[in-house]
Amino acid sequence: MSVKSVSAYSLIHATVRARYSTMLTPETWNALMQAQDFDAVLNVLSKTVYGPCLQIERQALNPRRAVYQIKRHLAGTYQKIIHLTPEPGCQLLIQFWRLYEVDNLKATLRGIETGASWDQVRHLLAPMAKYTILTTNDMEKMIRSGHMARAIELIGHTPYYNTLVHALERYQAEKSLFPLEVALDLDYRRGLWQSIHQLTGLDHEQALRIVGTVLDVDNLLWAIRYRVYHHLSEQEIINYTLPFGYQVRDEDIRAIAGGADIAQVVKRIYPGADGLEQLSEQPSAGLAALELYLQRHVVKTCRAAFMGYPFHIGIPVAYLLLCEHEIKDLTVLVEAKDSHLPLETLTSMLETQP
Amino acid sequence: MFRSQAMSKVELVVPEHDVVPVTEALAASRVFHVATDEHVGTENASRRASEWQDRATTFADLERRILTVMEALGVDEGPPPSETPHLIWPDVAQMDVERLEQEAQAPVQELEEEQRRLTQLRRYLSQLEPLADLEMNLGTMRSMRYMFVMLGTMPAANVERLQSSLEHVPFVLVTLRREDHLATVVLFGMQRDAEILDRAARSAYLNPIRPPETYRGTPAEAIAALQAGIERARQHIAEYQATIEHLREARIRHLCHLLWRMRASRTLVETIARYGRLRYTYLVAGWVPVSQLPALKQKVKQVSDQVTIEVSTPRRKEDSSIPVALENPPFLKAFQGLVTNYGHPSYGELDPTPILALTFPLVFGIMFGDVGHGLLLVLLGLGLASRRVRALRGLASLGPVLIACGSTALVFGFLYGSVFGFEEVLRPLWIQPLRDIMGILLTTIGIGVGLLSLGMIYNIVNAVLARRWGHLLFDHNGLAGMVFYWSLIGLAASAFVGHLPISPILLVALAAVSGLAVTFAELLGNLVEGRRPLFEGSFGTYLMQALFELFETVIGLLSNTLSYVRMGAFAVAHGALSLVVFIMADIISPAHGVGYWIVVALGNLFVIGFEGMIVGIQTLRLEYYEFFSKFFSGNGVRHRPLTLIPRGEE
Repeated sequence: MSVKSVSAYSLIHATVRARYSTMLTPETWNALMQAQDFDAVLNVLSKTVYGPCLQIERQALNPRRAVYQIKRHLAGTYQKIIHLTPEPGCQLLIQFWRLYEVDNLKATLRGIETGASWDQVRHLLAPMAKYTILTTNDMEKMIRSGHMARAIELIGHTPYYNTLVHALERYQAEKSLFPLEVALDLDYRRGLWQSIHQLTGLDHEQALRIVGTVLDVDNLLWAIRYRVYHHLSEQEIINYTLPFGYQVRDEDIRAIAGGADIAQVVKRIYPGADGLEQLSEQPSAGLAALELYLQRHVVKTCRAAFMGYPFHIGIPVAYLLLCEHEIKDLTVLVEAKDSHLPLETLTSMLETQP
Repeated sequence: MFRSQAMSKVELVVPEHDVVPVTEALAASRVFHVATDEHVGTENASRRASEWQDRATTFADLERRILTVMEALGVDEGPPPSETPHLIWPDVAQMDVERLEQEAQAPVQELEEEQRRLTQLRRYLSQLEPLADLEMNLGTMRSMRYMFVMLGTMPAANVERLQSSLEHVPFVLVTLRREDHLATVVLFGMQRDAEILDRAARSAYLNPIRPPETYRGTPAEAIAALQAGIERARQHIAEYQATIEHLREARIRHLCHLLWRMRASRTLVETIARYGRLRYTYLVAGWVPVSQLPALKQKVKQVSDQVTIEVSTPRRKEDSSIPVALENPPFLKAFQGLVTNYGHPSYGELDPTPILALTFPLVFGIMFGDVGHGLLLVLLGLGLASRRVRALRGLASLGPVLIACGSTALVFGFLYGSVFGFEEVLRPLWIQPLRDIMGILLTTIGIGVGLLSLGMIYNIVNAVLARRWGHLLFDHNGLAGMVFYWSLIGLAASAFVGHLPISPILLVALAAVSGLAVTFAELLGNLVEGRRPLFEGSFGTYLMQALFELFETVIGLLSNTLSYVRMGAFAVAHGALSLVVFIMADIISPAHGVGYWIVVALGNLFVIGFEGMIVGIQTLRLEYYEFFSKFFSGNGVRHRPLTLIPRGEE
């Protein structure tokens, strides 16, 4: 226990603890699951921490708008937690938050590719609060330019520029967004990895455990998808994945790329993973079960961060990740209730609920 | 002080021709919180709103264009003007913007074109420079028969990955140059592996270099031609930059003024777009602190004598949408910050700031009782609050909190008889935690019971204010919950103490009745408040859920109460840590020489810094987690007065 870490994380720890207690309880989840329809879901949510962001005219609150409003809560939470977190941990959180910015940028690039209008694209963007490099104005300008190369020139002031401008040549040659999106994904995760390594001591250890687990999940699923769905060559899979992680080693990724039995590789890393038999027989069918298992594994890792010594970056990171997963589950729930999906189907899709 | 400022709902009926000046007056008053979506359903609202919305879109577009011009000319937007500019109509603004764009367009476009050319030439140059000594025609490299050769640039971060991806294929990858994030490389391999190598190179984002056909011959010859081209491009750029600088000087003030005027206009029209609309009038609804009403009315009447202003007190069902403007004296502002860090109270809900200002220092003082340490904290707080130390100005708002906490620590220092850890200098006025551990622990549990009860009382008062009778009577933090809690405490006390003035049978009966009320709080609450159905789902499920909730309530009350033991534990730890300091000082200097006093001084600094911080955290945790959770939702809406230009303090 160091004085420095206690002083640095005192306020954020107390704040996160207090906010952690406002996350949805099992009783609330039960009420949400039992809700008859979308309106009933809104009634339950209005009594929770999401209540204030859902206080808009009920007629305007269709499922898509409701999800957007709920995501605004996440933006606010990120903003508050980043604001209270001291350096250098704060930089990790900012980098973490930028995943949404990268997703928005990808949505913008897709908009340019399909010739969508700004009005169509802006509804697809995740709400962003402060701590962004790319503004809504930038993305609007990009869409209005209507041309990929010109759009990329418009974000010359951002770190995404170098990545995109270099990948542009491949986009122009292949007429596919794939190289642009993969370049952004890889670059973002390399930045995240660097942010972890700028931390020291317990902060580094905790960030590696939590954020490293998130990177593991992405990397592993990428490798499997590239092989199963895209049928990429060994070299391509290796080049499109990351050589680092927490539990997933480079050898594991190379083994998958080289044609090894995917189920065996996954079993070595996650012995209790679901859908392994299916993964052996028909990888595309087992992938959904594996993905759900991995996301639940991330949730478990985050919850574990709240045990033990509390003055480290793991607490805010884990809390934000748990909020993200809660909101992901709420999104699934809202959509499921709107389309009257059976309860059993819905339950099997949730990541934070057993 | 305990309540937020009383709000009035203000509804204005504004003639069409006065809507702009009236909105400007509302913004200038800086007290008018626009009620959103109030008149969305009004007849004609959508058509008229869309006209204003179109204007807002035009302003947004014009703002973007003017920013583009400013960016091109290197003009910063500067600080907002001291006086809020008036509305500029979109067609007037559009003409102005178009003129500015035309002025800037030609030199800027030419400059950009030349800069692009220069960048491209430099890129070719940097790619060819490593090959300068190669006596080989560039064209020959492209037509090799048995060898695969690819010269190109790739992200430096990908080089290692590309190498490792090709471990099963014979190849040589030579890095010729590394610059920032890019590496210039040449990849050699066998022509028979061309497909593998090509796919690997592409997936590593290796972009092959293809200099324009105009640059022929050996790399050295191409480099010389490129250098001449670069020199010409530089001269052109200098000429264009001079033209742009001249234009910048001439237009800088006008551009800044226009930008802020457009921003204010955009906010103005967006606000009007949200108003309701009748045939010739607009309906404006909003919230104003009652105390500010006369000033607001006067401001509006100054710009239009045809505005009808209706003021009403808020209806109960509107409570969740009424904005909250907290009203606390300046010395409580620091504690108000701690409250708003958690959330804003809802309208009509009690503001916990005053009670936090009392309980926070009290809890801190109990845990950190020491005259000397308290005095130092007071001095530190005064130093911060005075803002004299430039580096600590950012922490100035913490000053009053430290002063309050230091003062209570000082008072408890006298009660504990502790000064800088010395426990023999002062006679304790009450208790010495280290010598009566059980006493201090039980006392702090008692204080915890008091604080939790206070939280419940707050919750009861909030329920009365909100007229939520069911909540008031049956909630686990309401009357039933409080009786249940005190009955359990009474039973526990009678088990330990033995004799109480109240009969244990009566306590058991009270606990049973109140426990039942808490168990069926939802059902009873709905019954009292006339809501149907009385419970969701089947009775069996409800019963199961209710029993679990009772169990959770009991566990919650127990854990919340025991949480306050930490106050006593920290009071003991404070004494114990000081004791350790003295033991160490004695070991260093048994004769109480200079070494002894150095250790005592350093030890005291350690105790203040380290333990002070932990105690601060624990205090915050007890307030947020144990105390606030009894009565405070933090789901209120902050009062945000309409303003056309955002300013620093907002």
